[in-house]
Amino acid sequence: MGAFLAALGDVLTSEAAYINALTFAVFLAFGATGEWVAERSGTLNISIEAMFLAAAFAAAVGYSSSQSEVVALLCGMFAGFSVAFVQAEMSHRLAANQFVVGLTLNILVLGLASFLASELDPVTTKSSSISIPLLSEIPLIGAALFGRSWLFYLIYLLVPFVWWLVYRTRWGLEVRAVGENPQSADVSGLDVNKRRRQSIYVVGLTSGMGGTYLVLAAVGQFADSIVGGRGFIALIAVIFGGWTLRGTLAGCILFGAVLSFRLSLPALGYDVSGDLLASLPFVVTIVAMSVFAKRVRPPQALAQPFIRGLK
Amino acid sequence: MTTGFESADIDHGAASSPDMSEQPPRSGGSGRLGPTGLARIISAGEVVGLYALCIVAALLLSALIVQLTGGDSLAVFSALLDGSIRGPGRIGETLGVMGPLLIVALGAIISNRAGLVNIGQEGQLFIGAAFATYVGTRIGGPGPVVILALLVSSAIGGALWAGIAAALKYRRNVPEVLTTLLLVTVAAQLAGYGLKNQWLLLAPPEGRANRQQISQQLDPDSRIPLVTMFGNQFPISVFFALGGAALVAFLLARTVWGFRLRALGHNERTAQRAGVAASRYGAGALLLGGGFAGLAGGIMLAGGDFGNYTLVPGFPAEIGWTGLLVALVGRQRVFATIIVAFIFAGLRTGSGFVAATGVERRITDVVQGLLVLALLIPPALLFLRQRRRAMAARESRT
Amino acid sequence: MADEAHDEVNHPKSGTGPSGPVPGGLLATGRVAIRLDQVSKRYGAVTACDEVNLTLTAGRIHGVLGENGAGKSTLMKIMIGLVLPDEGTISVDGHRVRFVDPTDAARYGIGMVHQHFSLVEPLRVWENVALGDEGRLDPSATRDRVKEISDRYGLAVDPDAVVGDLPVGMRQRVEIIKCLRRDPSILIFDEPSSVLTPAESEQLFDTLRHVVLEEGRAVALVSHKLDEIMRATDEVTIMRQGAVVRQVRTSDVDAAELAEAMVGRAVSLRSERVALGVVDADFDGSDVPDTHLEPAPVVLEIDGLTVMTRDGRRLLDDLSLHVRKGEIVGIAGVEGNGQRPLADVLSSLIVLSSGEVRVDGASVQTGVAGAMAAAGIGVIPEDRHDSGVVLEMTVAENLALVGIVDIARAGVIDRRAMSSTAERLIDEFEISCAGPDAPLFSLSGGNQQRVVLARELSREPEVLIAAQPTRGLDVGAIEYMTNRLRQAAEAGVGILLISSELEEILDLAHRILVISDGRIIGEMARGEADLGRLGLLMGGQVA
Repeated sequence: MGAFLAALGDVLTSEAAYINALTFAVFLAFGATGEWVAERSGTLNISIEAMFLAAAFAAAVGYSSSQSEVVALLCGMFAGFSVAFVQAEMSHRLAANQFVVGLTLNILVLGLASFLASELDPVTTKSSSISIPLLSEIPLIGAALFGRSWLFYLIYLLVPFVWWLVYRTRWGLEVRAVGENPQSADVSGLDVNKRRRQSIYVVGLTSGMGGTYLVLAAVGQFADSIVGGRGFIALIAVIFGGWTLRGTLAGCILFGAVLSFRLSLPALGYDVSGDLLASLPFVVTIVAMSVFAKRVRPPQALAQPFIRGLK
Repeated sequence: MTTGFESADIDHGAASSPDMSEQPPRSGGSGRLGPTGLARIISAGEVVGLYALCIVAALLLSALIVQLTGGDSLAVFSALLDGSIRGPGRIGETLGVMGPLLIVALGAIISNRAGLVNIGQEGQLFIGAAFATYVGTRIGGPGPVVILALLVSSAIGGALWAGIAAALKYRRNVPEVLTTLLLVTVAAQLAGYGLKNQWLLLAPPEGRANRQQISQQLDPDSRIPLVTMFGNQFPISVFFALGGAALVAFLLARTVWGFRLRALGHNERTAQRAGVAASRYGAGALLLGGGFAGLAGGIMLAGGDFGNYTLVPGFPAEIGWTGLLVALVGRQRVFATIIVAFIFAGLRTGSGFVAATGVERRITDVVQGLLVLALLIPPALLFLRQRRRAMAARESRT
Repeated sequence: MADEAHDEVNHPKSGTGPSGPVPGGLLATGRVAIRLDQVSKRYGAVTACDEVNLTLTAGRIHGVLGENGAGKSTLMKIMIGLVLPDEGTISVDGHRVRFVDPTDAARYGIGMVHQHFSLVEPLRVWENVALGDEGRLDPSATRDRVKEISDRYGLAVDPDAVVGDLPVGMRQRVEIIKCLRRDPSILIFDEPSSVLTPAESEQLFDTLRHVVLEEGRAVALVSHKLDEIMRATDEVTIMRQGAVVRQVRTSDVDAAELAEAMVGRAVSLRSERVALGVVDADFDGSDVPDTHLEPAPVVLEIDGLTVMTRDGRRLLDDLSLHVRKGEIVGIAGVEGNGQRPLADVLSSLIVLSSGEVRVDGASVQTGVAGAMAAAGIGVIPEDRHDSGVVLEMTVAENLALVGIVDIARAGVIDRRAMSSTAERLIDEFEISCAGPDAPLFSLSGGNQQRVVLARELSREPEVLIAAQPTRGLDVGAIEYMTNRLRQAAEAGVGILLISSELEEILDLAHRILVISDGRIIGEMARGEADLGRLGLLMGGQVA
């Protein structure tokens, strides 16, 4: 117990630990923010893993051919959107089961990315950090929050934008209605599946940002294991957070921190088995879900496809 | 919260959509409607045509990808055929891969029937294989006993792994789609840990030949016997897989258990009223799904095609995922699943020959993925049309 | 423009127009608001609407009467843009129109107050009211509009309340406000009083009169209840099997004529009139045969049932009742007062927080799958799709669902037995279907209900719970169901009839209980039933 507290103390006082934790937290947050919107509309997209991966690959290729991070970002967002497009069309226009489609997309994109990566071999360099004066000098967390790549800073713009989108616009109201009671929404004149598809496009775009961030700023180069199952954790952050944006972000920070232990702990001198440490985030996620699952209230129509065949 | 795989899995077979061509009498009188024979034939032709179209589209798209990356798609397809069925003894290889795929798929069908979304076969398989390795390399005794023991323990291992998800679902209401998924990664890491420690799975230094994470090899006596037919060699477990398929089909269609499972999958509340406890039947279905996947892992280990009777990191080689896809493509019909399992096995064995054409072998994953996506479309369209008709006919009378 | 050849509607009375200038978008009294000409809609070879002509005039309440399945619901869907007609034209204010969706129809001034509401419970009142509009979201403007409409029509409601927290009567107000906020010139009310107490219904009709007369709007009132039509409408269109059979001024006809038009034959049997929603004003129960049921043993005893939700709300609050052998106990009450949880407990779907259920004196476990059924409790649930049938399974499978173990040997189902039992039941209960292997979703609602009835009765239960058993059925099916229930009671089955249709309860029940807020607040024998007192009780007032 004492050793555990000592370890905890070391982590909490290490600047590098915060940097690592936020790296993963923000990666998750890019996806989770979008998935929050998608789940508020009643969809559950396990293809978020594929969106991240497709985006990472596309961004790597985009950077490799243009040496421009902006181009890379656009490629990444386009790739994420493409995966989202397939998910949206198949599940919410053609009524194919969304889990099946999501699963298939994950496998397909993994295969495609591996295949193309070995043929195309994209080369990337790590994105440099831009330190914001003064703010980045705050002890402990300054560098973690304000001394990062410009891609990181995008999250500061994304989160408030998405909040505004869902709570202050008509589109957001309709998305929420569609996720709670699609029958009522339909009778009120809303196009249920269209809003659902659009909310999936959102997660495609935000995951696109996340994938780009991952490959250019967080890791530095592409490998087909770059996402490695961690995309799902973004999805679970939404559930953990009780489908509120605040809760989702809290979840991202928690899970991001745990994901980062694999880097931070050894660096601090702790020798914990790599495999067990690697499984820790997933175990923590499962435990967190178990503890919180009964207390949270999902959107009433979550994961229930909507079909009205009367016109 | 989860809906299972049921939403678009309406059976298009025997009890297909009756033609709403006559208005039934209002009340009283037992009138009999019947779909006209011709309508059914035309409808069946439509279905076949739709499937054919989608399959062709997927293959063309794959060919396009190959061409765009500088390969020769015809050579690739030829290599696929050579590797899967045309080459000498290749059918045997394909059958050897088909065995575990089919078993995983059978387990997936059972879980799906109950309305569950179990997508953790890859992990359940790995844990099953790990259990089999532990038991198979440690107990002594006559060959058949060891084989049986390791197979049984592999099934138990897979079931236990799925059991975690079942417990979380029925005790804490955590959706199994997420837990089974996360447990896949945990399984790989757990197995990796096991392979680093001699007290678990790692082989002693003298059996390792300088490799880092590898288990002891199974004794020749502890391996599933091979059989040779028409020049093809494959483990006899293939016959058991086929027999198992027949058994599962029978159980699902003809027994009380299968009936109740089906009711549960379609409508949990009605099933509960009728005596089907969701937690018991559902958990049972999940455990069986895991058990079958685990068993497949044991067969893979003791059958030899997948690593020469040793356990290594990455052992499942995506058989778990592929087996799940086989079940989904087979639309939960056991007979179709056998055929799909053979085809997907063929893709794998064929991919070995693809490298010779200069194209990265991963292309078969792409072909497989595109095929599955394409094959999801016809049932979805047909379901929509069927539902629309039935709902409209019902609506118009209320 | 006004071709009166088809209808018998006379020209409107004069002298009831608005006194000042009419607010923008409304029509002067007497003008034709909307006109449907030869509108037809077919689904396959089933004709839902058959060359229907309908004219709604400003300043009048126009009833659309027809039994379940007559086509009025489809017709309304066409009018609000949810369904596209195959033939015929729609003219609004003289101009030909074609709606593509409900928002389109709303733009032409057509609004509907739906029977099952179009509200999203977790959202607030103002958010629900704003749903379906276009343009920027303006919370304060919407809130103001809600207040304005509330005040004008006496429909008080808090714009920031969460709809899910509101009782049913209030929710209907929100639904009406949602309809009125677009200033519709044409309002359609779909079976509005099905969820209201008698007192609330009266209040609603007053609101309607106000809306129509003082504001010159046109109102259509869709209903299958003669009572409602007689009380609240100026003129009425009667539909039968998709076609219009008569169009008259309400004051020119009586209930019997309307009933006859509705079903196509003379209606004299009391049961038929009951099915049509006629509650005799001078009902005093004296024509009810006196059955002495006191000595009969108690088959079902419900003792102090309490069911609580996760957040502490009581769905059932210390509810107690008993049913004797051969007795029909009716539970009257407006929907949403605990009927559904009660039926769910007796279907083994909910666990009790406290209390006990006893059949023939023996306690039965709650929440354990199949326990209630095994103890001899049969259930015809309120929503058969929710917990009564499995739509994707065949008729034979649904019939065998509860007692599947009985037709199996060593776990294997005896297919032949299942099939022959199904054939027998299909004949006995006159279930219209393609055969025992027809999927259940291919059956009409009435026939699906017969499947449920057949299954439950064939198991020879001690107790039968019938929850809203005739909802959505046409007159013939209602009669059949009612007769069957009566027969079952005569054969000794204790029946618990849960219904929000007073007519049904008065017709069938030997003893009437009233449920409100999860508990029984009143009881009376049929012989002493008093409509006034019943109405009060249903409104929650213990008299």
